[in-house]
Amino acid sequence: MLRFVMTFLLILIALFTLEMLNPVQEHVITPFTSLLAHLSAVLILPFDNAVVAYGKVLQFKDTGFAVSIEAGCNGVEATIVLIAAICAFPASWRARLIAIGLGFLAIQVLNIVRIISLFYLGNWNLEYFSWIHLYLWPALIMLDVLVVFIVYLRYLSKQTQPLETAVG
Amino acid sequence: MAEQHHMRQFLLFVFTLLIPFFALWTIASAPIALPAIGIAGMLLTNWFPDVVNALYASGSEAILMTEFGESAGQLIPLREAEYRLGFEVNTQILSYSLPFYTALHFATEKKTYLADYLWGVLMLYGLFVFGLVCLCLKELMVNVGAPFFNQPGALVPYAEVIAIAYQFSVLIVPTLAPAALWIWQSKDSKLLQGVFTKTVDS
Repeated sequence: MLRFVMTFLLILIALFTLEMLNPVQEHVITPFTSLLAHLSAVLILPFDNAVVAYGKVLQFKDTGFAVSIEAGCNGVEATIVLIAAICAFPASWRARLIAIGLGFLAIQVLNIVRIISLFYLGNWNLEYFSWIHLYLWPALIMLDVLVVFIVYLRYLSKQTQPLETAVG
Repeated sequence: MAEQHHMRQFLLFVFTLLIPFFALWTIASAPIALPAIGIAGMLLTNWFPDVVNALYASGSEAILMTEFGESAGQLIPLREAEYRLGFEVNTQILSYSLPFYTALHFATEKKTYLADYLWGVLMLYGLFVFGLVCLCLKELMVNVGAPFFNQPGALVPYAEVIAIAYQFSVLIVPTLAPAALWIWQSKDSKLLQGVFTKTVDS
Protein backbone atom coordinates (compact mmCIF):
# COMPACT_ATOMS: atom_id res chain seq x y z
CA MET A 1 0.00 0.00 0.00
CA LEU A 2 2.81 2.39 0.95
CA ARG A 3 4.50 1.60 -2.37
CA PHE A 4 1.31 2.50 -4.23
CA VAL A 5 0.95 5.81 -2.38
CA MET A 6 4.60 6.78 -2.93
CA THR A 7 4.54 5.84 -6.64
CA PHE A 8 1.24 7.68 -7.08
CA LEU A 9 2.58 10.87 -5.49
CA LEU A 10 5.82 10.68 -7.45
CA ILE A 11 4.06 10.29 -10.82
CA LEU A 12 1.48 12.93 -9.88
CA ILE A 13 4.07 15.57 -8.97
CA ALA A 14 6.24 14.72 -12.01
CA LEU A 15 3.32 14.97 -14.47
CA PHE A 16 1.95 18.09 -12.81
CA THR A 17 5.36 19.81 -12.95
CA LEU A 18 5.71 18.74 -16.59
CA GLU A 19 2.31 20.23 -17.36
CA MET A 20 3.38 23.56 -15.86
CA LEU A 21 6.43 23.91 -18.15
CA ASN A 22 6.08 26.66 -20.75
CA PRO A 23 6.86 24.50 -23.83
CA VAL A 24 4.26 21.92 -22.70
CA GLN A 25 1.71 24.66 -22.08
CA GLU A 26 2.43 26.23 -25.47
CA HIS A 27 2.55 23.09 -27.64
CA VAL A 28 0.19 20.70 -25.84
CA ILE A 29 -2.11 22.26 -23.25
CA THR A 30 -3.14 25.44 -25.09
CA PRO A 31 -3.90 23.67 -28.43
CA PHE A 32 -5.79 20.96 -26.55
CA THR A 33 -7.79 23.59 -24.63
CA SER A 34 -8.61 25.39 -27.91
CA LEU A 35 -9.77 22.05 -29.33
CA LEU A 36 -12.13 21.69 -26.35
CA ALA A 37 -13.57 25.17 -26.99
CA HIS A 38 -14.14 24.36 -30.69
CA LEU A 39 -15.60 20.94 -29.89
CA SER A 40 -18.00 22.57 -27.42
CA ALA A 41 -19.04 25.10 -30.10
CA VAL A 42 -19.55 22.28 -32.64
CA LEU A 43 -21.82 20.47 -30.16
CA ILE A 44 -23.80 23.62 -29.35
CA LEU A 45 -24.21 24.97 -32.91
CA PRO A 46 -26.94 22.54 -34.11
CA PHE A 47 -29.12 23.82 -31.25
CA ASP A 48 -27.95 27.42 -30.90
CA ASN A 49 -26.30 29.31 -33.76
CA ALA A 50 -25.52 32.36 -31.61
CA VAL A 51 -22.26 30.75 -30.40
CA VAL A 52 -18.73 31.25 -31.71
CA ALA A 53 -15.35 29.80 -30.60
CA TYR A 54 -11.93 31.39 -31.07
CA GLY A 55 -8.76 30.23 -29.31
CA LYS A 56 -9.72 29.09 -25.82
CA VAL A 57 -12.83 31.31 -25.82
CA LEU A 58 -16.49 30.45 -26.31
CA GLN A 59 -18.76 33.45 -26.90
CA PHE A 60 -22.40 34.31 -27.48
CA LYS A 61 -22.64 36.53 -30.57
CA ASP A 62 -25.80 38.28 -29.35
CA THR A 63 -25.09 39.02 -25.66
CA GLY A 64 -21.29 39.12 -25.97
CA PHE A 65 -20.90 36.90 -22.90
CA ALA A 66 -17.79 34.75 -23.22
CA VAL A 67 -15.93 32.11 -21.24
CA SER A 68 -12.21 31.39 -21.57
CA ILE A 69 -11.18 27.84 -20.77
CA GLU A 70 -8.19 28.10 -18.45
CA ALA A 71 -5.92 25.77 -16.49
CA GLY A 72 -8.02 23.60 -14.22
CA CYS A 73 -10.98 23.79 -16.60
CA ASN A 74 -9.62 21.55 -19.36
CA GLY A 75 -9.70 18.28 -17.43
CA VAL A 76 -5.92 17.87 -17.74
CA GLU A 77 -5.31 17.87 -13.99
CA ALA A 78 -8.05 15.27 -13.46
CA THR A 79 -6.50 13.15 -16.22
CA ILE A 80 -3.08 13.47 -14.54
CA VAL A 81 -4.54 12.22 -11.25
CA LEU A 82 -6.13 9.25 -13.04
CA ILE A 83 -2.92 8.40 -14.96
CA ALA A 84 -0.90 8.54 -11.72
CA ALA A 85 -3.37 6.27 -9.91
CA ILE A 86 -3.55 3.75 -12.77
CA CYS A 87 0.22 3.66 -13.32
CA ALA A 88 0.94 3.29 -9.61
CA PHE A 89 -1.33 0.26 -9.37
CA PRO A 90 0.07 -3.20 -10.17
CA ALA A 91 -1.40 -4.38 -13.50
CA SER A 92 -0.35 -5.23 -17.04
CA TRP A 93 0.58 -2.29 -19.27
CA ARG A 94 -2.18 -3.28 -21.70
CA ALA A 95 -4.82 -2.95 -18.95
CA ARG A 96 -3.28 0.32 -17.82
CA LEU A 97 -3.25 1.84 -21.30
CA ILE A 98 -6.86 0.82 -22.00
CA ALA A 99 -7.93 2.25 -18.63
CA ILE A 100 -6.09 5.51 -19.28
CA GLY A 101 -7.68 5.82 -22.75
CA LEU A 102 -11.21 5.10 -21.54
CA GLY A 103 -10.71 7.20 -18.41
CA PHE A 104 -9.50 10.13 -20.48
CA LEU A 105 -12.66 9.85 -22.62
CA ALA A 106 -14.90 9.64 -19.52
CA ILE A 107 -13.27 12.74 -18.02
CA GLN A 108 -13.40 14.76 -21.24
CA VAL A 109 -17.04 13.88 -21.98
CA LEU A 110 -18.03 15.15 -18.53
CA ASN A 111 -15.70 18.12 -18.93
CA ILE A 112 -17.41 19.19 -22.15
CA VAL A 113 -20.76 18.92 -20.33
CA ARG A 114 -19.19 21.16 -17.66
CA ILE A 115 -17.95 23.73 -20.19
CA ILE A 116 -21.30 23.93 -22.02
CA SER A 117 -23.35 24.04 -18.81
CA LEU A 118 -21.14 26.79 -17.35
CA PHE A 119 -21.28 28.75 -20.60
CA TYR A 120 -25.09 28.90 -20.45
CA LEU A 121 -25.15 29.36 -16.68
CA GLY A 122 -22.76 32.31 -16.90
CA ASN A 123 -24.90 33.96 -19.54
CA TRP A 124 -27.84 33.70 -17.15
CA ASN A 125 -26.36 34.43 -13.72
CA LEU A 126 -22.71 35.18 -12.92
CA GLU A 127 -23.03 34.52 -9.20
CA TYR A 128 -24.30 30.96 -9.70
CA PHE A 129 -21.72 30.53 -12.45
CA SER A 130 -18.83 31.37 -10.08
CA TRP A 131 -20.08 29.11 -7.30
CA ILE A 132 -20.73 26.11 -9.50
CA HIS A 133 -17.57 26.68 -11.57
CA LEU A 134 -15.18 27.09 -8.66
CA TYR A 135 -16.57 24.61 -6.16
CA LEU A 136 -19.16 22.13 -7.43
CA TRP A 137 -17.88 21.11 -10.87
CA PRO A 138 -14.30 20.35 -9.71
CA ALA A 139 -15.78 17.98 -7.10
CA LEU A 140 -17.94 16.30 -9.75
CA ILE A 141 -14.99 15.86 -12.10
CA MET A 142 -12.95 14.25 -9.29
CA LEU A 143 -15.94 12.01 -8.52
CA ASP A 144 -15.79 10.96 -12.18
CA VAL A 145 -12.07 10.09 -11.76
CA LEU A 146 -12.89 8.17 -8.59
CA VAL A 147 -15.64 6.13 -10.26
CA VAL A 148 -13.42 5.32 -13.27
CA PHE A 149 -10.65 4.18 -10.90
CA ILE A 150 -13.00 2.00 -8.84
CA VAL A 151 -14.43 0.41 -12.00
CA TYR A 152 -10.85 -0.26 -13.14
CA LEU A 153 -9.96 -1.84 -9.77
CA ARG A 154 -13.02 -4.07 -10.02
CA TYR A 155 -12.03 -5.12 -13.51
CA LEU A 156 -8.53 -6.01 -12.27
CA SER A 157 -9.96 -7.83 -9.28
CA LYS A 158 -12.19 -9.97 -11.53
CA GLN A 159 -9.21 -10.74 -13.76
CA THR A 160 -7.11 -11.98 -10.81
CA GLN A 161 -9.87 -13.93 -9.02
CA PRO A 162 -9.97 -16.99 -11.35
CA LEU A 163 -6.16 -17.20 -11.11
CA GLU A 164 -6.26 -17.12 -7.31
CA THR A 165 -8.98 -19.81 -7.28
CA ALA A 166 -6.95 -21.96 -9.66
CA VAL A 167 -3.79 -21.54 -7.56
CA GLY A 168 -5.69 -22.02 -4.29
CA MET B 1 -24.53 -7.87 -9.01
CA ALA B 2 -23.96 -6.92 -5.37
CA GLU B 3 -20.96 -4.81 -6.41
CA GLN B 4 -23.09 -2.92 -8.94
CA HIS B 5 -25.71 -2.38 -6.25
CA HIS B 6 -23.11 -0.89 -3.88
CA MET B 7 -21.78 1.40 -6.60
CA ARG B 8 -25.27 2.59 -7.58
CA GLN B 9 -26.16 3.17 -3.92
CA PHE B 10 -22.94 5.09 -3.35
CA LEU B 11 -23.46 7.35 -6.39
CA LEU B 12 -27.09 7.98 -5.50
CA PHE B 13 -26.14 8.98 -1.95
CA VAL B 14 -23.22 11.15 -3.10
CA PHE B 15 -25.39 13.11 -5.52
CA THR B 16 -28.10 13.45 -2.88
CA LEU B 17 -25.68 14.65 -0.21
CA LEU B 18 -23.45 16.92 -2.32
CA ILE B 19 -25.90 19.80 -2.69
CA PRO B 20 -27.01 20.08 0.98
CA PHE B 21 -23.43 19.73 2.26
CA PHE B 22 -22.16 22.33 -0.20
CA ALA B 23 -25.05 24.62 0.79
CA LEU B 24 -24.20 24.21 4.49
CA TRP B 25 -20.53 24.86 3.77
CA THR B 26 -21.41 28.04 1.83
CA ILE B 27 -23.35 29.34 4.84
CA ALA B 28 -20.64 28.33 7.32
CA SER B 29 -17.53 29.08 5.23
CA ALA B 30 -16.62 32.21 7.24
CA PRO B 31 -16.40 30.50 10.66
CA ILE B 32 -14.78 27.44 9.02
CA ALA B 33 -12.01 29.64 7.60
CA LEU B 34 -11.40 31.62 10.79
CA PRO B 35 -8.96 29.22 12.57
CA ALA B 36 -7.09 28.55 9.30
CA ILE B 37 -6.66 32.28 8.69
CA GLY B 38 -5.42 32.72 12.26
CA ILE B 39 -2.83 29.93 11.96
CA ALA B 40 -1.68 31.01 8.46
CA GLY B 41 -1.46 34.61 9.71
CA MET B 42 0.77 33.60 12.63
CA LEU B 43 3.03 31.62 10.31
CA LEU B 44 3.35 34.40 7.73
CA THR B 45 3.89 37.30 10.14
CA ASN B 46 6.64 35.35 11.92
CA TRP B 47 8.18 34.12 8.68
CA PHE B 48 8.19 37.49 6.88
CA PRO B 49 7.96 40.19 9.58
CA ASP B 50 9.27 42.91 7.21
CA VAL B 51 6.70 42.16 4.49
CA VAL B 52 3.54 40.75 6.10
CA ASN B 53 1.69 42.91 8.60
CA ALA B 54 -1.32 40.66 9.24
CA LEU B 55 -3.72 38.16 7.78
CA TYR B 56 -7.27 38.65 8.95
CA ALA B 57 -10.72 37.38 8.11
CA SER B 58 -13.38 39.33 6.25
CA GLY B 59 -16.26 36.91 5.87
CA SER B 60 -14.90 33.88 4.07
CA GLU B 61 -12.12 35.98 2.51
CA ALA B 62 -8.69 36.42 4.05
CA ILE B 63 -7.11 39.87 3.82
CA LEU B 64 -3.34 39.82 3.55
CA MET B 65 -1.96 43.16 4.76
CA THR B 66 1.61 44.05 3.83
CA GLU B 67 4.19 46.44 5.26
CA PHE B 68 4.03 48.49 2.04
CA GLY B 69 1.91 51.19 0.51
CA GLU B 70 1.03 51.89 -3.09
CA SER B 71 1.01 54.95 -5.29
CA ALA B 72 0.10 55.00 -9.01
CA GLY B 73 0.54 51.24 -9.21
CA GLN B 74 4.02 51.37 -7.65
CA LEU B 75 5.04 49.79 -4.36
CA ILE B 76 6.25 52.44 -1.91
CA PRO B 77 7.42 52.39 1.75
CA LEU B 78 4.55 52.55 4.23
CA ARG B 79 5.70 55.87 5.77
CA GLU B 80 5.30 57.57 2.36
CA ALA B 81 1.92 56.01 1.62
CA GLU B 82 -1.61 57.08 2.45
CA TYR B 83 -2.77 53.53 3.05
CA ARG B 84 -1.45 50.05 3.64
CA LEU B 85 -1.43 47.66 0.68
CA GLY B 86 -3.49 44.49 1.15
CA PHE B 87 -4.82 41.64 -0.95
CA GLU B 88 -7.97 39.58 -0.84
CA VAL B 89 -7.54 35.81 -0.75
CA ASN B 90 -10.50 33.52 -1.45
CA THR B 91 -10.38 30.75 1.14
CA GLN B 92 -13.35 28.88 -0.35
CA ILE B 93 -11.28 27.63 -3.30
CA LEU B 94 -9.46 25.53 -0.69
CA SER B 95 -12.11 24.73 1.91
CA TYR B 96 -14.61 23.14 -0.50
CA SER B 97 -12.63 19.94 0.09
CA LEU B 98 -14.61 19.67 3.36
CA PRO B 99 -18.17 19.34 1.95
CA PHE B 100 -16.85 17.10 -0.84
CA TYR B 101 -15.22 14.78 1.70
CA THR B 102 -18.31 14.91 3.92
CA ALA B 103 -20.54 13.81 1.03
CA LEU B 104 -18.19 10.96 0.05
CA HIS B 105 -17.83 9.82 3.65
CA PHE B 106 -21.51 9.75 4.57
CA ALA B 107 -22.53 8.25 1.21
CA THR B 108 -20.54 5.11 2.02
CA GLU B 109 -21.97 2.24 4.03
CA LYS B 110 -19.68 1.79 7.04
CA LYS B 111 -19.75 0.35 10.53
CA THR B 112 -18.58 3.56 12.20
CA TYR B 113 -18.66 7.10 10.88
CA LEU B 114 -17.65 9.71 13.43
CA ALA B 115 -14.04 8.91 14.42
CA ASP B 116 -12.84 8.48 10.83
CA TYR B 117 -14.73 11.60 9.81
CA LEU B 118 -13.11 13.75 12.49
CA TRP B 119 -9.64 12.47 11.53
CA GLY B 120 -10.41 13.18 7.89
CA VAL B 121 -11.59 16.72 8.61
CA LEU B 122 -8.49 17.34 10.74
CA MET B 123 -6.18 16.21 7.93
CA LEU B 124 -8.05 18.24 5.32
CA TYR B 125 -7.91 21.26 7.62
CA GLY B 126 -4.11 20.92 7.79
CA LEU B 127 -4.00 20.93 3.99
CA PHE B 128 -6.35 23.93 3.99
CA VAL B 129 -3.89 25.89 6.17
CA PHE B 130 -0.97 24.83 3.94
CA GLY B 131 -2.93 25.86 0.82
CA LEU B 132 -3.77 29.23 2.37
CA VAL B 133 -0.08 29.88 3.06
CA CYS B 134 0.67 28.96 -0.59
CA LEU B 135 -2.03 31.35 -1.82
CA CYS B 136 -0.56 34.18 0.28
CA LEU B 137 2.98 33.39 -0.94
CA LYS B 138 1.72 33.60 -4.52
CA GLU B 139 0.08 37.00 -3.81
CA LEU B 140 3.34 38.27 -2.31
CA MET B 141 5.37 36.89 -5.21
CA VAL B 142 3.14 38.44 -7.89
CA ASN B 143 2.20 41.74 -6.21
CA VAL B 144 5.18 42.59 -4.00
CA GLY B 145 7.92 40.96 -6.08
CA ALA B 146 11.52 42.02 -5.43
CA PRO B 147 11.06 43.34 -1.84
CA PHE B 148 9.48 39.97 -0.97
CA PHE B 149 12.28 37.90 -2.48
CA ASN B 150 15.09 40.11 -1.16
CA GLN B 151 14.15 40.11 2.51
CA PRO B 152 17.19 40.08 4.77
CA GLY B 153 17.21 37.18 7.22
CA ALA B 154 14.17 35.38 5.82
CA LEU B 155 14.26 32.14 3.87
CA VAL B 156 12.05 32.83 0.85
CA PRO B 157 11.14 29.87 -1.38
CA TYR B 158 12.13 30.00 -5.05
CA ALA B 159 9.50 31.51 -7.37
CA GLU B 160 9.13 28.17 -9.20
CA VAL B 161 8.46 26.36 -5.91
CA ILE B 162 5.81 28.92 -4.95
CA ALA B 163 4.19 28.69 -8.40
CA ILE B 164 3.98 24.89 -8.35
CA ALA B 165 2.90 24.76 -4.68
CA TYR B 166 0.16 27.31 -5.43
CA GLN B 167 -1.11 25.49 -8.53
CA PHE B 168 -0.96 22.14 -6.75
CA SER B 169 -2.79 23.48 -3.68
CA VAL B 170 -5.55 25.10 -5.72
CA LEU B 171 -6.00 22.77 -8.70
CA ILE B 172 -5.33 19.33 -7.26
CA VAL B 173 -5.37 19.12 -3.46
CA PRO B 174 -8.96 20.33 -2.72
CA THR B 175 -10.46 17.53 -4.82
CA LEU B 176 -7.75 14.87 -4.65
CA ALA B 177 -7.20 14.93 -0.88
CA PRO B 178 -10.86 14.14 0.00
CA ALA B 179 -10.97 11.39 -2.64
CA ALA B 180 -7.68 9.84 -1.43
CA LEU B 181 -8.77 10.04 2.21
CA TRP B 182 -12.10 8.47 1.33
CA ILE B 183 -10.42 5.56 -0.50
CA TRP B 184 -8.08 4.99 2.46
CA GLN B 185 -10.87 5.07 5.05
CA SER B 186 -13.35 3.08 2.95
CA LYS B 187 -11.09 0.28 1.78
CA ASP B 188 -12.95 -2.16 4.04
CA SER B 189 -16.41 -0.88 3.08
CA LYS B 190 -18.73 -3.07 1.00
CA LEU B 191 -18.07 -0.85 -2.00
CA LEU B 192 -14.29 -1.35 -1.99
CA GLN B 193 -13.94 -4.51 0.11
CA GLY B 194 -11.44 -6.90 -1.43
CA VAL B 195 -11.13 -4.89 -4.62
CA PHE B 196 -8.42 -2.58 -3.38
CA THR B 197 -6.50 -4.67 -0.83
CA LYS B 198 -6.50 -7.89 -2.85
CA THR B 199 -4.94 -6.31 -5.91
CA VAL B 200 -2.46 -4.08 -4.08
CA ASP B 201 -1.22 -6.77 -1.73
CA SER B 202 -0.98 -9.47 -4.43
